Amino acid sequence: MLTIGLTHYLILAAFMFCCGLYVMTIKRNAVGILIGVELILNAASLNLVAFSRYKTGLLDGQIVALFVIVLAAAEAAIAIAIFVNYYNNLATIDVDRGDSLNG
Amino acid sequence: MNGDLFTLLAPELIVIGGAVLALLLGLGASPGARSAPRALALLSVFAAFLVTWYYGPSPAKPLELAGMRFDSLAYYIRLIALSVGALVLLVHWHLPHPAERGDVFAMILFSLAGIMLTSLANDLVLLFLTIELVSIPTYILVSIGRSDIRAQEAGLKYFFLGTLSAALLVYGFSFLYGAAGTTNLSRMQLSPAGGFVTIGLLLAFAGVAFKIAAAPFHVYAADVYQGAAAPVTGLLGFFPKVAGFVALIKLLFLMQPSDLLTAGWNMPGAAFVFLWVVAAATMTLGNVLGLMQTNVKRMLAYSSIAHSGYMLVALLAGPVASGGPLRDGLSAMLFYIVVYGIMNLGAFAVLALIQARGRPAEELDDLAGLGRREPLAALALAICVFSLMGLPPTAGFFAKVYVFSAAISNGAAGWHGLSLIVLAVIGLINSAIAAGYYLRIVATCYLREPVAEPIAEPRTAGIRLGLLGCCIAILVIGVWPGGLLYMSRLPFYDLSAPPAVATHSNAQSPEPAETTEQVYAKEMNS
Repeated sequence: MLTIGLTHYLILAAFMFCCGLYVMTIKRNAVGILIGVELILNAASLNLVAFSRYKTGLLDGQIVALFVIVLAAAEAAIAIAIFVNYYNNLATIDVDRGDSLNG
Repeated sequence: MNGDLFTLLAPELIVIGGAVLALLLGLGASPGARSAPRALALLSVFAAFLVTWYYGPSPAKPLELAGMRFDSLAYYIRLIALSVGALVLLVHWHLPHPAERGDVFAMILFSLAGIMLTSLANDLVLLFLTIELVSIPTYILVSIGRSDIRAQEAGLKYFFLGTLSAALLVYGFSFLYGAAGTTNLSRMQLSPAGGFVTIGLLLAFAGVAFKIAAAPFHVYAADVYQGAAAPVTGLLGFFPKVAGFVALIKLLFLMQPSDLLTAGWNMPGAAFVFLWVVAAATMTLGNVLGLMQTNVKRMLAYSSIAHSGYMLVALLAGPVASGGPLRDGLSAMLFYIVVYGIMNLGAFAVLALIQARGRPAEELDDLAGLGRREPLAALALAICVFSLMGLPPTAGFFAKVYVFSAAISNGAAGWHGLSLIVLAVIGLINSAIAAGYYLRIVATCYLREPVAEPIAEPRTAGIRLGLLGCCIAILVIGVWPGGLLYMSRLPFYDLSAPPAVATHSNAQSPEPAETTEQVYAKEMNS
């Protein structure tokens, strides 16, 4: 029978990381991109918890993961504020519509 | 300075307290309460500076406490962050609408507290959180205060790339934690050969590269600098960069042997090659793209990218045991960053001060004829730009001398030392390329006929005072670099002291944390 070990968690986290990067590059909707960032942050949390369980046997990694979750929440709050501002100006949250800066 | 965490963290607590009060006062209904945040912010920065100065650099042995490390690096970074922070506050003095003053000044103070805490961080989680404490307020500062579309667009871009860098950083840190089994930076023993270490360090470097706008993660800089208000842009050239470089220094120190000064600055091959390529590409891309711009803010954005490259050169050279300040890359980098912060802030302060066509100056045409219309502003801009270029007798000259002489005279054996010399040559060529666009700014001010009738905005004593402070600092450091150089050498003298062991100086029993951890580990294993 297959036992789930550190490697499985790391592979899952790496998969989540790649999904996050992929989502960030193809999504044009600002909320979609934010979800991509959250996926990467959660990949990091998963890594931290897995290392903490299998490698050190201590709680420190899990505590770091808690901090990462709190930070993700703070970032989401800022993100929504920025999106609302953007929407007020452009009546959309499609990031491709903001193209006044280039050169 | 000993013992109690509250006393040790007094400067940070003062700044954060000032920020919270500014935020609350900004909500007040009366005009008096709404204009209070400015004075309050400046006052708390001065108070924090005095407290830090009064404590002085740490004793011979850096003190480690609660995931923080109180050493000379932290002392130096706290002092420069607070002094440049005071200038940043002055340059913002007239920017915000009175209703937004509380928010803007509170965000600047939070970011400032973040830098000070970054310099103290001795734990992966603290390092990550403090870097984010520097960055998150800057996302708000870019979006706030300007209702135009470009500021919103810049804010959105900056936010997404900033959070991506945070995510990369923490994903990298998770591998470092996995490889080392601890989050404490001074207890971390990394073997450079390990796979996890390489992945972790590369991801963390990538995350930091965003913060310092190094290639290939520099693409956002020009758009964000152009879209944000000029004083905010002056801040962006300093705050995130200091945090990024401090984090980079702390990561590089993880790879050093305990007898750093006798064994030499140790850079494992992969990290060295990565940073070498990043430094060369950052300098070259920044300057070449800078040549093609007609918008002064974008020009200065690319110059900001290029200057990050010069600082990376110094960091690659690293400290060397003998040979004085001209061979010490670490102090060259610490010297450079404060000089860069001041001259960049000064240049953007001029852009904030000058109005052309009824809006803040931005295009090169807006500055045409400035020398005749506003001789003092033009002179200030010329001083800042000459300093960015590296001409004596400005501070920028000595900054460049220290950086390149550290790289050239490093004298490491084999390809290591040779590639540093090649890098210094690339840097010198780049300084010459950069003169192309810097001189264009000055020439436009003095030689061209006015196109848009640039005028200095009246009733802006704050910005003028801040600009005067920047110019005086540039000239004083340019004539007498010894004072700042001595300060930037302090972290080097720390290195010559025996390596610090974690000291729990205010704990009752010597090492309670260790025993709890051991007990817990046993329980988990059984």
